Amino acid sequence: MIRNSLAGFLLPTTALSLSTNTLPLPVSAFLGPWLLLALLVVAPLSLAAVSNSAGQSTSQSTTADGGTRKVPIVRFHAWGGSAQVNGYLQWVAEQVKQRFNIELQHIKLADTSDAVSRVLAEKAAGNHHNGSVDLIWINGENFAAMKKHNLLSRAWVEELENFALTNPRYNTAMTTDFGEATLGMEAPWGKASMVFYYRSAHMKSLGLMPPNTIRDLLRFSQKAPGHFTYPVPSDYLGISFIKFAVIVLNREHQSLFYQPVTAESLQTVLPALWAYLDALHPTMWQAGNYMLRQASQLQRLVSTGELTLAFSFTASEIPSAVTRFDLPEDVRTYVMQDGSLANVHFIGLTYNSSNTEAAKTIVNFLLSPEAQAEKQKLAVWGDDTVLDMSILPKGQQALFENDTIHDSALDKSQQTMLLPEPHASWTDALRDAWYARYGARY
Amino acid sequence: MFAQTTLITRWCLLLLLCIPVLAGLVGVVFPALGYFPAIGANTFSTAVFIALFSLDDVWQMIWLSLFTGLGSTLVAIAGAFFILATFYQSAMLGKIQGILSPFLVFPHAAAAIALLFAFSPSGLFARIAAYASDVSLPSSGGGVFPYDAFGISVLFALSLKELPFIILMALSVMSQPLMQKKLTGFAKVGTTLGYSPVACFFKLVVPAIFAQIKLPILAVLVFATSNVEIPLILGPNNPSTLAVAIMHWFNHIDLSMRLLASSAAVVQIAVSAVALLLFLGIECITKHIGKRSLVSGKRQFVDGAVQMFGVAIIAFYVILISAVVYIVLTYSVATQWPFPALFPDGLTLLHWETAVGALAAPLMNTVLLGVGVSTSSLILVLFTLESEQLRPASTYAAKAFTLSVFFPLLVPGVAFLYGLVWFQQLVLQSAVWFHTYIAHMVYVVPYVFLSMAVAYRKFDNRYAMVAQSMGKTPWQVFFQVKLPSMLYSIVVAWALGLAISFSQYLPTLLASGGTIPTVTTEAVASASGSSTRLTAVFVIIQAVLPLIGFVIAWCVPAIVVKTRGKSAPALKDKSRKGVLHGA
Repeated sequence: MIRNSLAGFLLPTTALSLSTNTLPLPVSAFLGPWLLLALLVVAPLSLAAVSNSAGQSTSQSTTADGGTRKVPIVRFHAWGGSAQVNGYLQWVAEQVKQRFNIELQHIKLADTSDAVSRVLAEKAAGNHHNGSVDLIWINGENFAAMKKHNLLSRAWVEELENFALTNPRYNTAMTTDFGEATLGMEAPWGKASMVFYYRSAHMKSLGLMPPNTIRDLLRFSQKAPGHFTYPVPSDYLGISFIKFAVIVLNREHQSLFYQPVTAESLQTVLPALWAYLDALHPTMWQAGNYMLRQASQLQRLVSTGELTLAFSFTASEIPSAVTRFDLPEDVRTYVMQDGSLANVHFIGLTYNSSNTEAAKTIVNFLLSPEAQAEKQKLAVWGDDTVLDMSILPKGQQALFENDTIHDSALDKSQQTMLLPEPHASWTDALRDAWYARYGARY
Repeated sequence: MFAQTTLITRWCLLLLLCIPVLAGLVGVVFPALGYFPAIGANTFSTAVFIALFSLDDVWQMIWLSLFTGLGSTLVAIAGAFFILATFYQSAMLGKIQGILSPFLVFPHAAAAIALLFAFSPSGLFARIAAYASDVSLPSSGGGVFPYDAFGISVLFALSLKELPFIILMALSVMSQPLMQKKLTGFAKVGTTLGYSPVACFFKLVVPAIFAQIKLPILAVLVFATSNVEIPLILGPNNPSTLAVAIMHWFNHIDLSMRLLASSAAVVQIAVSAVALLLFLGIECITKHIGKRSLVSGKRQFVDGAVQMFGVAIIAFYVILISAVVYIVLTYSVATQWPFPALFPDGLTLLHWETAVGALAAPLMNTVLLGVGVSTSSLILVLFTLESEQLRPASTYAAKAFTLSVFFPLLVPGVAFLYGLVWFQQLVLQSAVWFHTYIAHMVYVVPYVFLSMAVAYRKFDNRYAMVAQSMGKTPWQVFFQVKLPSMLYSIVVAWALGLAISFSQYLPTLLASGGTIPTVTTEAVASASGSSTRLTAVFVIIQAVLPLIGFVIAWCVPAIVVKTRGKSAPALKDKSRKGVLHGA
């Protein structure tokens, strides 16, 4: 009985078995006051009991041998604002269910820091073994924060068979997250670099060309005020734009960005950035008074036509958004001659996960050539693989061959200069300096 | 026995409402005073408050919260009274309730998104304007709506959302049998003395009903000063309202920001309290001035202007709701839709397929939670109300009780919900469904109570007396006389509970830690996403879900009455309350 209703709560699709637990409530209203009151008291309590035993049963299942019926549940907390990513994770969930009999739950976050706070709250309350977050999709400062507060499991990545395929010994980007050593706390999942995209029809009617350098961008925005904006720096894409600008505007100080930031180095690079942004802001969308909180809104505004030019960290999302009518057909993608900011994103395993084995199995699957190739398909997600093509067998390399090219897609035949992310300490320093200068903007 | 049971239920209800809120408050007050061991803060001090008030923008945030909250409540009250003054004696009243009800049941997030669809520089009205004036690119902002620095768009959206609620509250008071008799008498006397209907309304009706709708209005005021969804979607962010800042600080990557967030949450309580005081002050002044106007002998009350406003507001709602329905429905099936065309290039079901595929599980969760929460809060409320009649408390205790029912509505949600999560981590940490259930109950019970209390007061107690004189036990009176005759109100209250549970965003997200996705959490997440079309689908689903509850509320009594055969009270009851609730 308890098992039945338990299954109902955890797997809503099989919730038919629940009828025993919930339906009596309204029906019993005709039975008598005592039964009614009893139910009233029992219903919430049984809910508590049920969800309590739910937590335990999942943890038992990891220690139980494969012969038992119980299905371990892995909760993957990942940003849920993109239909492609969600679709891909649905595919992954089906695959791991079939192959390993693991239930993968994608917890869709509006903001990854929600999950970081969740784990911290659990740690604060002394929940060290039965956390509600198993896997988490992170990089940059969310990782830095989790590392600082010891919220991640250590040295588990090296155990994964497929991790070797990323060639970590030669490819240090796989073990470095924005200049921070990952210490085996998170496994690489995908690669991204910054691209710009624009409405070609709007450019035509404005009589302008898409800007090719950061200086060009300012001239463009001055000639056509209101057609460009960037999100506030608490957003990932917002801070990326600022990093891109500060690196490009300080060509002569490049080496500073790849060491931990100091007051001195910050003061060296900021004047050029401020001069630039001071000139740019009044020419932006909403005259720079209101700035977007989330990058995904950039795409929405390009779609409605309020913006003409925007940028993204996933080149592939542009053509796939066009095919889903979320961007108009006149959108074109390109990389600025100034270069393109590039980084890797990771999956972390929390220190208090109760399903570490199942979670590792899933991450290992995510790193398999098959799952990585599926992810790289333009029609699916289009996220670049982290596997090292040179060490893959020919047969597996073939999995990654490109599908048909879309008008709005980035022309990958052109050489682009990749700008590595600055050391992680720069993120906070730049953001704080930005907020100090331009206001809180929450 | 039965009486005792109901008494116990009453206490259960009290505890259920107060414990989570108090626990939540403790959970924010400690960090606000600098005590948060998880990040190594172990000493009590006022340093956090000092840090908070040293921020440049904090006063501006406080001002924005006060201005939008108080302003929207005053505007909504004025609008509601204009409409009532214009139509209170007209047969149109029922229809007007029908017109306003979409905004009543619409979750706040959905309403804000819908307004964005209509009013943004690329929205429907801009398209119409551009179409007329042959402009090819949408304007690049700088207008008043949305995101204006003064919070006018927030104020506007909040008033639109509050007005129908205030009308509903006023009407439910006005249609209580005793009150109705009294007011009809008043109006007759007023008319005989030559007062215009509008003047009768403001001089005779308003003073008579205001005391009874004051508490719900105060709840609205607290809600408006601390709401997160609407200023988040429509408000400025340089700076934003205090509530939005609190949410961002709580979610900030830098975990030490939680101290700041907690202290700001305490300040938020103070802001809401100041808003309440200001409101009570304004009420006092109005009363004072009003008294003079009462005896001035003027037979008119700027009738023309009031009636014009009343009609204009209704007309505005009609236009707005038609526009929103059109653009949201069309976006949900649109292929490419370039500005400023009024129709998309083509239609597709792609967005619906995407959404429906992703929504099966959240939908199940939403319905499970909603039905469980609404049903159990209905039972609790019915027993509590019955206990009030069986064992009437002293007037003082009764007042205290009513106030405590409103307690969760009078404490800003952003202030106690984060603290509640901390508390829930200490007790039964993995009982996620239970915690979410409790968090929903806290918000659903007060509304179900409000809705049922009206029906209970309206119940003609002579039926009960007759039954009792025939030797029926209190339980039999309750179960066989009262419940059937109030069936319609009961199902409406149940549907209302369902709607409130469906619309909870912050409570669901925080209490479940995101492990119980519901339609509303998915919708808000999608609003932060990149697809306008998918958001449109979510808005529709969010709007339709609560309606299903109300449709059930319509059908059930009819069916039950049919099977019961000759239950005259239920029929009569329904016909009367159809005008009242209108949904």
